[in-house]
Amino acid sequence: MEKNKQILVIEDNPSNLYLMQYLLGKHGYTAIEADTGLKGIDLALTSKPLAIILDIQLPEMDGYEVAKAIRAYSSLDDTPIIAVTSYAMIGDRENAIAAGASAYIEKPINPDTFIREIESHIQEYSERSKLCES
Amino acid sequence: MHSLQVAMPITRNFAQTHIKYMAERIVKSLVLIAVICCSVQFLAARMVHVGIAQNPPKCYMDDEGKPAGIFVEILNSIGNEEGWELQYQLGKWDENLLKLQSGEIDLVADVAYTTDRDKLFDFHSIPVLSSWSQVYSRKGLGIQSIIDLDGKRIVVLEGSIQQQALNTMVRGFGLQVTITAVQSFDDAFKAVAENKADVAVTNNFFGRMHANSYGLEDTAIVFEPSTLFFVAAKGRNVDLLDKIDLNLKQLKQTPDSDYYKAIRNWTSESTGMIIPLWVKVMLLIIGLGLLISTIAGFVLKRQVRLRTHELQLANADMENRIIERTKELASAMQAAQQADMLKSAFLATMSHELRTPLNSIIGFTGILLQELPGNLNDEQKKQLHLVQNSSRHLLSLINDVLDISKIEAGQLDLQYSIFDLKKSIEKVLLLVKTQAEKKGLEVNTCYQHDSLEIECDQRRLEQVILNLLSNAVKFTETGSITITTMEQNECYIISIQDTGIGIPLSELDRLFKPFHQIDSGLTRKYEGTGLGLSICYQLLNLLGGRIVVKSEPGKGSTFRAIVPKRGANGKKQTDSCD
Repeated sequence: MEKNKQILVIEDNPSNLYLMQYLLGKHGYTAIEADTGLKGIDLALTSKPLAIILDIQLPEMDGYEVAKAIRAYSSLDDTPIIAVTSYAMIGDRENAIAAGASAYIEKPINPDTFIREIESHIQEYSERSKLCES
Repeated sequence: MHSLQVAMPITRNFAQTHIKYMAERIVKSLVLIAVICCSVQFLAARMVHVGIAQNPPKCYMDDEGKPAGIFVEILNSIGNEEGWELQYQLGKWDENLLKLQSGEIDLVADVAYTTDRDKLFDFHSIPVLSSWSQVYSRKGLGIQSIIDLDGKRIVVLEGSIQQQALNTMVRGFGLQVTITAVQSFDDAFKAVAENKADVAVTNNFFGRMHANSYGLEDTAIVFEPSTLFFVAAKGRNVDLLDKIDLNLKQLKQTPDSDYYKAIRNWTSESTGMIIPLWVKVMLLIIGLGLLISTIAGFVLKRQVRLRTHELQLANADMENRIIERTKELASAMQAAQQADMLKSAFLATMSHELRTPLNSIIGFTGILLQELPGNLNDEQKKQLHLVQNSSRHLLSLINDVLDISKIEAGQLDLQYSIFDLKKSIEKVLLLVKTQAEKKGLEVNTCYQHDSLEIECDQRRLEQVILNLLSNAVKFTETGSITITTMEQNECYIISIQDTGIGIPLSELDRLFKPFHQIDSGLTRKYEGTGLGLSICYQLLNLLGGRIVVKSEPGKGSTFRAIVPKRGANGKKQTDSCD
């Protein structure tokens, strides 16, 4: 089976969306884009990506709600959610983790290290899942 | 048995009560009989005619024609006891004695005993009163002794005991006086008051009672003490006199008897008559004082009441104001809480809104410099590096402002973890190394141990170290920067020493205040918000540590960050870290 290289990016800001899409594309990943939470959940269910990069500050449905909704589907249990946010207030990290995110990256992202961070989180998550299964 | 024993005393008690009741009834019946007997006796009462002279307070007829005085009251008491019907007749002193002789009256009251009189009349043996004669003069005459009477006009009562005694005395002392006899003591005092005579001689009873009202004063001349009696005509009413004696004896033995009551009644009234003027004035003043104080008391009471009312009103007003104020405070509190929430919301929004565009700028600059979209020429690279530096600087400024805001809002999130302090320092050094090398500064490190394990918020501690190191590089033009670590009392001391411009002593106090940069003004030599040291100071506080600075202008500065080795729990120990 061909290795899953699809990563879902849920982000409402077009330039930031493009930035991440470009970086992912340059490193051999396929970015699926969603500019709202609802679209993101739909895409996650239909395309079953390798990982989901989730902005927290979203219109209508915020990132915490999206994370919770995604975690409600057991078919997406293996998919790590990496929260990316410019929020840096007390509890942001905890809230994101509590909502179902598996990692947290603060904006602005560092283009030199971003892909490495994403990859290490995916790795970490799959190892954790395996441990849980066994 | 038991119940009987209980019943017995009850029966006995009942019998006793019954006997007592019977006895009371008998006594009551006896009293009734006695009263009836007395009434019968009264009906068959003996009529006794008594002659009195107008000689108050001993005996007189009052304004309504009723007999009154000490003798009258005492005789009434005796007559009441003996069942006499007493008829008083007012007459002149010598008339009364004549009437007694003629048998028109049975007794004459208020007669002083003399041997001469004893020959003419019958006296009973127990005196009713003791009396003496006294000389009364117009005020201011200055009569002190009997000698002073020389050349004076004297009035006496016709046929009185005073008349005889005075005559004897005047003769004995060889005084030249004019003696006038009048028909009553009142006439005598009137004569003196009207300056027809200088002095009057009366008995002490009359004098005490009336001297003051005639404007006379008593003198020290007292003579002829006498005892006063009732008298009857020789041999005619011996039984009356015997009864009088019998009753007087009894009356005088009982302190609360009619006898003493009568004396008290009349003499106490007379003492009232001799109250000196100053006493009267005093009494008047006291009375006025009392009246004034009563009025004042009333007025005060009223004022107190008014004040109390005012106070109550004020109190109520105050309470209302407190309630209002409390409401205001509550709403102010709510407003403050809302403001606080607004501030938090503002910080979150600003953080997001400022970082989102920066995310693109920094991100794409990085991508371009990585030459992912394509190769760059040297000029393009140089300019993009400038964009990258500027955007990173802008990010650090935004971060500083947000950090200080978060610290002040109590919203800074500390993430404790265990890491190697040495590695952190090395990591931070890498970031400033380029800048230091450019300036030609020597950077030295000196660690006490190879591994410096610490439990702290790594990111925040690195932020502090970076800030201090950046400052050292920024403010040092030549020389070196030295980083040393020491371990002391469960704390690490990270010392950053430079050979830079230094800080004047006067600036050291304000150094850690927000927005402070020395030489601050529009034209600043060094860029920065002036927030760095303030953030360091507050972060170290939050981490349970502190910051210390030593500096000498022109020579350099040493900043020491003191951090507990074991997280927030080590906070207590930092006091001993120095």
